[in-house]
Amino acid sequence: MRGGVLIAPVALIGCSGPLSTLQPGGATATEIAWLWWVMLAGAVALTMMMVVLIAMAFGAPRDTGARVWTHGMGLAFSLVVLSATLGAGLWVGERILPRDDGAVEVRARAFQWGWRFTHTDSDGNPVETDGLLHIPAGQPVDVLITSEDVIHSFWVPRLAGKLDAIPGRTNRARISADAPGTYAGLCAEFCGLGHARMRFDVQAHDTWPPALPDESEAP
Amino acid sequence: MRWLGLVLLGPALWAVVFSLVYGLHGTLCATASGPEDLGRAARLALVGAWLLGIAAFLPVFALIPERSGQAANLPRIGLWIGLVATLFTLFPVTVTTSC
Amino acid sequence: MSDTSLTPRTGTIAPNPPRRALALHRELQSVWANDRGLWGQMTAVSHTTLGLRFMATAIIFFAIGGILSMLIRAQLASHQGAFLDTELYNQIFTMHGSIMMFLFAIPMLEGLAIWLLPKMLGTRDMAFPRLTALGYWCYLFGGLIMLTALLFGVAPRDGWFMYTPLSSAAYSPGINADVWLLGVTFVEISAIAAAVEITVTILRQRAPGMKLTQMPLFAWYMLGTSAMMLVGFPPLIAGSVLLEIERAFDWPFFDPARGGDPLLWQHLFWLFGHPEVYIIFLPAAGVMSMMIPVLCRTTILGYGAIVAAILGLVFLSFGLWVHHMFTVGIPHMALAFFSAASVLVAVPTAVQVFAWIGTMWKGSPQLHLPMYHILGFFLTFVMGGLTGVMLAIVPFNWQAHDTAFVTAHLHYVLIGGFVFPMMAAATYWMPLITGRRRVKGLGEAAFWVILIGFHGTFFIMHLTGLMGMPRRIDVYPDNPEWVWLNLTSSIFSFVLTIGFAMFVLDLILQATLGKRESRNPWRAPTFDWAMPIPSPNYNFASLPTARHLDRDADEVILPLARGEGILPGAPNGRRELLVTRVGDAQPDHVGVLPGNTALPLALSASIGVFVLLMLASLYALAGIALVPVAVLIWVWVRGMAPGDNLASVAVTPGLRLPVHHHARASLGQSGLVAFLVANGTLFASLLFGLAFVSVVTPGPEAPISTFTPRTTAIALGLVTLAVGLASACVAWSGRHGAAMLALLLNLGALVVLVWMAATQLDDPTRHARDALRAVMAGYVGLHLLVAAGMAAFALDQFRRGEITVDVTGAWPALRLWQRYTSVTTLVTIGVLTAQAVMS
Repeated sequence: MRGGVLIAPVALIGCSGPLSTLQPGGATATEIAWLWWVMLAGAVALTMMMVVLIAMAFGAPRDTGARVWTHGMGLAFSLVVLSATLGAGLWVGERILPRDDGAVEVRARAFQWGWRFTHTDSDGNPVETDGLLHIPAGQPVDVLITSEDVIHSFWVPRLAGKLDAIPGRTNRARISADAPGTYAGLCAEFCGLGHARMRFDVQAHDTWPPALPDESEAP
Repeated sequence: MRWLGLVLLGPALWAVVFSLVYGLHGTLCATASGPEDLGRAARLALVGAWLLGIAAFLPVFALIPERSGQAANLPRIGLWIGLVATLFTLFPVTVTTSC
Repeated sequence: MSDTSLTPRTGTIAPNPPRRALALHRELQSVWANDRGLWGQMTAVSHTTLGLRFMATAIIFFAIGGILSMLIRAQLASHQGAFLDTELYNQIFTMHGSIMMFLFAIPMLEGLAIWLLPKMLGTRDMAFPRLTALGYWCYLFGGLIMLTALLFGVAPRDGWFMYTPLSSAAYSPGINADVWLLGVTFVEISAIAAAVEITVTILRQRAPGMKLTQMPLFAWYMLGTSAMMLVGFPPLIAGSVLLEIERAFDWPFFDPARGGDPLLWQHLFWLFGHPEVYIIFLPAAGVMSMMIPVLCRTTILGYGAIVAAILGLVFLSFGLWVHHMFTVGIPHMALAFFSAASVLVAVPTAVQVFAWIGTMWKGSPQLHLPMYHILGFFLTFVMGGLTGVMLAIVPFNWQAHDTAFVTAHLHYVLIGGFVFPMMAAATYWMPLITGRRRVKGLGEAAFWVILIGFHGTFFIMHLTGLMGMPRRIDVYPDNPEWVWLNLTSSIFSFVLTIGFAMFVLDLILQATLGKRESRNPWRAPTFDWAMPIPSPNYNFASLPTARHLDRDADEVILPLARGEGILPGAPNGRRELLVTRVGDAQPDHVGVLPGNTALPLALSASIGVFVLLMLASLYALAGIALVPVAVLIWVWVRGMAPGDNLASVAVTPGLRLPVHHHARASLGQSGLVAFLVANGTLFASLLFGLAFVSVVTPGPEAPISTFTPRTTAIALGLVTLAVGLASACVAWSGRHGAAMLALLLNLGALVVLVWMAATQLDDPTRHARDALRAVMAGYVGLHLLVAAGMAAFALDQFRRGEITVDVTGAWPALRLWQRYTSVTTLVTIGVLTAQAVMS
């Protein structure tokens, strides 16, 4: 699995953790993590290049043409690097967008300070849960996100990027978990006194809809 | 003063085209619903607006003569800045999911 | 006015005969020096005094903001938090951001420009000295209001970005949010004032013959910065005013339940907020472009390319604000536009960076202290720029947004791209400020401590963010994996603070203990060094011209000090400088500047009273407090009235120039144009808001309007007619009768407008659209009122005989304002009518 390829080196340098974007647990987060590692490699190379160029400047004056610097390096070189980066970003972006493909839909309502989630059980009835979102594992899930009061942001770092919960709007985020298990989530947009403790969990299930014990259902 | 105005012409043209295409896109998406793509007509309208924006630069290029010396030639460089920015920042109308 | 046409080309300006430098100095000093003592500080309007004071105050605010950041780092050093409760922690990080942005970075660059520009352009002061002072006092008072709030525990707590609804009355009761909205807006008066006068100073006060394309690059950078400030700040001011009205009077601009939109705030905020980053960076890049060639004993490489890069940055930076909003749920195509623009803006930045490195290759870099900080800039800023490109990539942004990764990135660009260049600039220009040489050793040590402290604090913070730590949390009991990261950052942040303290100590030691420095110690070729050190208030005993350009300042100092330049001394006992034309910088007229006065202090204090009454929710009293403000503005403008001596001035043998009262385009007129650009952006921001809530906002439709079409149509017709006629009157002639007519027409239009607003406009509290309409009516009303005031002022000038055939008085200003008022009035009426017809 692609995720596994990433995790091995990551664990070595201590990048793992329940909220680590560098230990992805789903397709979307994996793609973004790859994007990061590639960009990091490029950034390291570019930084080294700049350091070398500046170090080489110390010494006797050189007969250097202006156009090499302003047009060659400044315009052409940077445009090539930047276009490639932008292209990669848009390509990944297109691949992880929510599509109209009949993915499972669940709902998330944020409030000061907590999360209320809704999924549909096998009878087609809505099931409300507090602070724990149930999703199927191994398939894309669309989360319809909104807020009851101020702006919050829905983020499960190991599954996908974040999306804001905005009062008066409903946003659609696509997440997916490769394997069943629990994934930690949090509110990423500052929302007042309870912001730091506005955590939740996502439980990915092998069977969908899940058979839940009664006590997790909201009245 | 006139020279300074000419310098601003190219980037200002980009700003206008960028705002118009962004505004058009926002208006089109405000009328749509759900995560689906806009229809072919809307896509054509966006691409058309982009191409028109690019085309708008051509007559202006003819207006401003090339001059020697980089700084003195700034109005023409400004046009290039505007044109490249128009190409670069709005090409997503052709490739990305619209709404 | 007639002798303007006799102006010879600059090349033929004959030099004045040499005089005794000391006599000239005394003559100028008696006119340009500040008054003595503490009172002299209150009345000072000199750009040297105020520029330095701006920067010193900014450094004090930097220290306060730095202490707050120490508290933040102390709190985050362990997962349970140290000692702050959440409420206080929220106030502290909000104030840290707000202070560093609004009370440190912006005033610092304003101070730098105010202090340095006139010296570099070869003139004696900024275009509007009293405005400089007004800006300073507004900055100080606004800053003090915010600090006082912090001391009393009622400081803003909703983040420096003040996202609504969190900052709305419902979720943020109390005055905390009002302190931010009113305090910051108060401070922004200084930003607009500085932007206006920087623009005018660069365009109209360059040494004669110094074409735009010959300006020192710092002037180009500041021209770009000031243009961006004129266009960038009004959206923030508009947003702040709207949010304050929402909080005070319940007009629902941002309330989704009543058709408002929290995203409108975000758009307005970041329309300011992103250009702001470049507003901060450009002046820093400007000083880099001045220092690097001098410290490498060469000339700048790629002057034209750098100017083009500035041009590109100024515009492109207005096309990327949405990259702060990538996670609000905007369609991918729109994200792609802004992602592309955010990536593209790196190109002009790269052009500059490579031009500087090329300059270093071309010359032989000397490792003086400023060069250390320049190298610190390169390393830090390049890394910050690269993480900036990463953040411009949409999918990565979705992960990294609002995490410590962004905190790391923004400190890399702001400290790398602003603080390091400012430290380089401080060490470079200190001899000109103090006349002294620095004490060896401490400066280098400070640099290394800062560099190590900075990277130790922030480099690892990228990883902290990628490991999921969001911004603005005070505790993280469930995440032991973040502890070592945060602890490392916290320890190094104290190293960083020690470094900054050492840096300031070094400056203080230099100012107090340093040995006398000789003139032009860096052997720079620019006018800022072509004067005695420390620089006198008047800068130049006689003003330089284009023939003094590109020569070692050493060769220029003595001739200028002996009065061989133009306009030597102060023979008329008043502050005179040369005003030139925009494009070719040919001499146009002699500007007479106001002297020391306490008026700016009084005016900003009276605005401060208004702000405090607003804070106390005493709205009726606040309204009354505007009366002294208006009176003081009248007194202010009276101060511009022509004195007794309107004779033309001999600037060199054979060239007499008129004083500005006879000039067609005075500095004041140029300033008004610049102000109207800012004002027009404010108006456009309101129009944008109206369009946004009408088209994009998903909330409930506005209820049916209750106005009577016929009555409204007649009223709007009357207003249209009145402003049209008023414009015609002031365009038609500068006569007493025309002023009277303009006064009556504006007042008439205002009365009709107020009556219509009271009887026909829908209740502004019921829907965001109606609230915005009411605001636009208010905007028009305010402009009609000011137009009436200006007409009354002109009338008064006719009565006093101050407007004659060739003395224009306030007339051109009235004409311009009236035209602007008419256009905005007609646009407003047109938009509202179109909306009414379409619905």
